[in-house]
Amino acid sequence: MSELLSARDVTVRLGGATVVERASLALHGGELAVLVGPNGAGKTTLLRALAGLIATNAAVQLRGTALAARWPRERARNIAYLPQGHTFHWPMSVAAIVMLGREPHADPFSGTSADDRAAVERALIITETLALADRDVTKLSGGERARVALARALATQAPVLLADEPTASLDPRHQLVVMELLRQVARSGTAILATMHDLTLAARFADRVIIMQEGRLVGEGPPSEALNPERLAAVFGVDSQLVDLGGARIPVPLRPR
Amino acid sequence: MKRHYRLELALAGLIVVLAALSLMVGPAGLSPHAALAGLISGDGPEGIIVRDIRVPRTLLAALIGATLGLSGAALQGLLRNPLAEPALFGAPQAAAAGAALVIAFGFAPVTSFAVPIAGIAGALSSIALLVVVAGRHASLTVTLLAGLALASFAGAATALILNLAPNPFIALEIAFWLLGSLEDRSADHLLIAMPFMAASWIVLAGNARAFRALTLGEDAAASLGVDIARTRILVVVGVALGVGAAVAVAGAVGFVGLVAPHLVRRAVGSDPARVLLPAAFAGAALVLAADIAVRLGPSAVEIKLGVVTALIGVPVFLSIIFRERRMLEGAPT
Repeated sequence: MSELLSARDVTVRLGGATVVERASLALHGGELAVLVGPNGAGKTTLLRALAGLIATNAAVQLRGTALAARWPRERARNIAYLPQGHTFHWPMSVAAIVMLGREPHADPFSGTSADDRAAVERALIITETLALADRDVTKLSGGERARVALARALATQAPVLLADEPTASLDPRHQLVVMELLRQVARSGTAILATMHDLTLAARFADRVIIMQEGRLVGEGPPSEALNPERLAAVFGVDSQLVDLGGARIPVPLRPR
Repeated sequence: MKRHYRLELALAGLIVVLAALSLMVGPAGLSPHAALAGLISGDGPEGIIVRDIRVPRTLLAALIGATLGLSGAALQGLLRNPLAEPALFGAPQAAAAGAALVIAFGFAPVTSFAVPIAGIAGALSSIALLVVVAGRHASLTVTLLAGLALASFAGAATALILNLAPNPFIALEIAFWLLGSLEDRSADHLLIAMPFMAASWIVLAGNARAFRALTLGEDAAASLGVDIARTRILVVVGVALGVGAAVAVAGAVGFVGLVAPHLVRRAVGSDPARVLLPAAFAGAALVLAADIAVRLGPSAVEIKLGVVTALIGVPVFLSIIFRERRMLEGAPT
């Protein structure tokens, strides 16, 4: 597995408060990594720092070169970022929104290429949004919007995907669809880091779980090791139990401590 | 996503028709034939009327309208809000204050070149102040608040100038000038305003792709390679150049920047990049039509241009809001 994105001792201060403190991690092609942590742990800020959207101490490297030294468009071709919330300000068509994912590849003097159209169609198909292509994106349900936002991020076909809560507001079936999709995209060589609150989903689908608490990375490893009841008690303040599910040990939170 | 230029072609045709009408209409009404003959030969009274008076006026109307429409569409793209309009950052108000100052105390008549130059200087200094106050990397909210403060300040400065005007005739002249008009504007006005407007078009059109990406919000747009801080400062400066020059030449012509993008937005699928050119064309058509309307009034005194654009613009705007309201009712928020 090749190391695509790496961060060493990343520290982010926002408005005087240290939100991320000395976080070090590496993302590898072919791997689906999931970042978990309580609300306010700094997951989103870490993701934004990794995406190059906020100034850090320049310790984020993309394929061995400092991210800050790269051109924004080159960075955009290599790192796709899916923010929380799935905002769409104008009532554009779903197809036009997903086409925005091709923006980093666009040549300002020509229109959309065959590659662009193929990438958009593929992203629409795998996120099960092809039928929505001509719909007004602001008129969709929350779950549909979430999948369109994911399709937009996937259409870039970047080697690194940073997804902030891609399964929030999805129904159970589409949560599974999206998780299977992320795993499949990772298998094709993409390095994916996704945040989520559903520990069961994380444990079932992640190749590696990274745990964040109060701005620091406090543990990582395969889900069955990283998400043990002692750590969930310490980090999330919940009592939990591991349930055996076809050989995999899945944590089920039981009650707040 | 094939691009169709039918909308742009239709609007361009409308502009040509309105421009032709604009050459014919005025205190001395000309037949199409007389207007055309005057335009081509330049001979006789028709030639003087058409070439020296109506051609500059018509061109100014079209260019000012286009600048206002484009500025409105660009600001709406930047702010992701269909209610944004060029007066938001205070540039037009500052241009008006600069012009009023010269009319009141600069001993220059309303139609002299000192007025537009002072107006443009006013708009540019308001932008310089905005950038200094808000900072180069300010958030949108800070920029908007600073712009609001500057707009209020410029408005108060204009009121103060009116208040202190040496005599009531000058105060009245300023008040009328502020209502907006293209009466008695010459080719020189065109030459003064044109470079600033052209610079504004280039700057604003250069950010089209950023507007489209911004529909996803600032973070996602930045992740797509858009430099948000740079886009914001370029749009603010571009709007100030264009609208400042427009106001400096013609006075305040309201509502065009707000209404023009609305008229064409649906036809381009709400794409904030594709809306720019049709919005500019629609703005040109609106101001041309309004400037024809002011000359059709029965009285000897021309109705002011800004009054007509507001009188046309507000009902159009209200009808759009009414239509959108009916569409939005029952839709998820």
